[in-house]
Amino acid sequence: MRQVWVIGKNTYREIIRDRILYGLLVFALLLMGVSLALGELSFAEQTRISANFGLSGIQLSAVILSIFLGSTLVSREIEKKTIMTLLVRPLSRVEFILGKAVGLSLVTLTLVFGLALVLISVVGFLGMEINWILFGVLLGIFFEALVLLGVTVFFSSFATPMMTVIFSASVFLIGHWLDSLRFFADRSESLEFLVVSRMVNSIIPNLENYNWREAVIYSDPIPLSQVFWAGVNALSWFGLLILLTAFIFGRRDFA
Amino acid sequence: MSKALEVFGLKKSYKKGFIPKTREVLKGLDFSLGKASITGFLGANGAGKTTTIKCILGLTFSNAGQIRFFDGQPLSSAIKSKVGFLPERPYFYEYLTGYEFLRFYGELSGGMSRNALNDRISELLKKVDLLPARDVKLRNYSKGMLQKVGLAQALIHRPELVILDEPKAGLDPDGRYYMSEIIKDLAAQGTTVFFSSHLLHDAEKLCENLVIIKSGLVIFEGPTRKLLQRVNSEIEVVFQKEGKLQSQKVASDKELQTQLKELLSQGLMIQEVRRQQPSLEEAFVNLALRDEAGGA
Repeated sequence: MRQVWVIGKNTYREIIRDRILYGLLVFALLLMGVSLALGELSFAEQTRISANFGLSGIQLSAVILSIFLGSTLVSREIEKKTIMTLLVRPLSRVEFILGKAVGLSLVTLTLVFGLALVLISVVGFLGMEINWILFGVLLGIFFEALVLLGVTVFFSSFATPMMTVIFSASVFLIGHWLDSLRFFADRSESLEFLVVSRMVNSIIPNLENYNWREAVIYSDPIPLSQVFWAGVNALSWFGLLILLTAFIFGRRDFA
Repeated sequence: MSKALEVFGLKKSYKKGFIPKTREVLKGLDFSLGKASITGFLGANGAGKTTTIKCILGLTFSNAGQIRFFDGQPLSSAIKSKVGFLPERPYFYEYLTGYEFLRFYGELSGGMSRNALNDRISELLKKVDLLPARDVKLRNYSKGMLQKVGLAQALIHRPELVILDEPKAGLDPDGRYYMSEIIKDLAAQGTTVFFSSHLLHDAEKLCENLVIIKSGLVIFEGPTRKLLQRVNSEIEVVFQKEGKLQSQKVASDKELQTQLKELLSQGLMIQEVRRQQPSLEEAFVNLALRDEAGGA
């Protein structure tokens, strides 16, 4: 575990010192600003709708961070050959992959909760009551980013960064449409459609499992058990994807 | 003699192209390195030097053959903590300072307390003449400075075997001198050094032993002097004739005796007998050509 932490710490430092992150931070703050302004245009419950839009801004930033930085996380090490000086140390390939993923997860966590602080300050200033629901939603956003990070790192183990971004963005879109897909498949008379729908549902993570943003609008409580099991689900996907990545990565020649 | 590294029958081939074609890079390499020696690993571009090094270090998987470290042990985490490596044309984390960079590799290697690691970093930065650039980010380092800090990372954990891939590439004469001194110093302290190079002059001055490969096969393994002896040295006899200095070349000691007798019988004054030692470059070319002729 010590080796994972050393790699994770360095990855965290690498991304925190990268100018791309600050570009993304500015983008996220602008997005949140626009979202909050849009919320003000609504007829009722402006603050709650502003908060919901603000949370969407945080979610989008976390997704972009996971997909774009995740896509080059390992390929950059290979391209610049820094991986050669790392893997000759007492460090296994699994530990390397896990360390990189842990580092980026920590950056995502920092980004989500950093932006959340800004959002909480703003909506608190606008008079919204800050409660557990908001934290539950933020945790959901982090779980989704974690799963997407796993997906991205998995694709990056065999695809180019550009293809990785395309594949991961597709998983993001399909992952949010899975409930609709299942809904239509269950009502369809086509057996093929049903089979394909079941297959897609079992190989692509359902990202709506981590989406509780509407709870903020309706002030619906999010059961703790739901957050807990969503966390277990996200960590399982992440673990499985990292294991698969390590399996592919472990057989790779660094020529 | 105990061995730091033994390579037996190492084979490696790659598949390339849309319709994959197999290219055999290593065709059954055999060589070994004695402990505390400096061995040069020579060969033309594309001979398979870097592939061999990558196979040794587990970065590339070989198709056949065995690699054993420190008297028969296979590569493992324990062995990795005794091996240091500097790749060819290293590119390091440019967002780190020299100190942070070495600290990262030191932590990864393990086995040192925080204070011991700090002392080791200072010692190495001093050794490679980078102490003033300790807190400068690597993105501001010159090519030579990167090579030096790369060497420092290879040595941070006091390895028993150091593998350097073209360590002098990109260094100025000053840097090359420093690198040579560090390599000699390492061997004097009992570290085994194995380095690939295309700078034959440097290899000649530094290496007690050589491993020369060509087209994926070892064509010479042994002491440097043995290789130099293989190439016929020329002897030049300088004498005075009619008030002018003249010279004649002979190929062997036997021929020299005959030539001297003849010149003395003519009453000529012998001024000098010069034995011209072949350089490693000549020996290398000679070996490569002979191998080609033998193979043809």
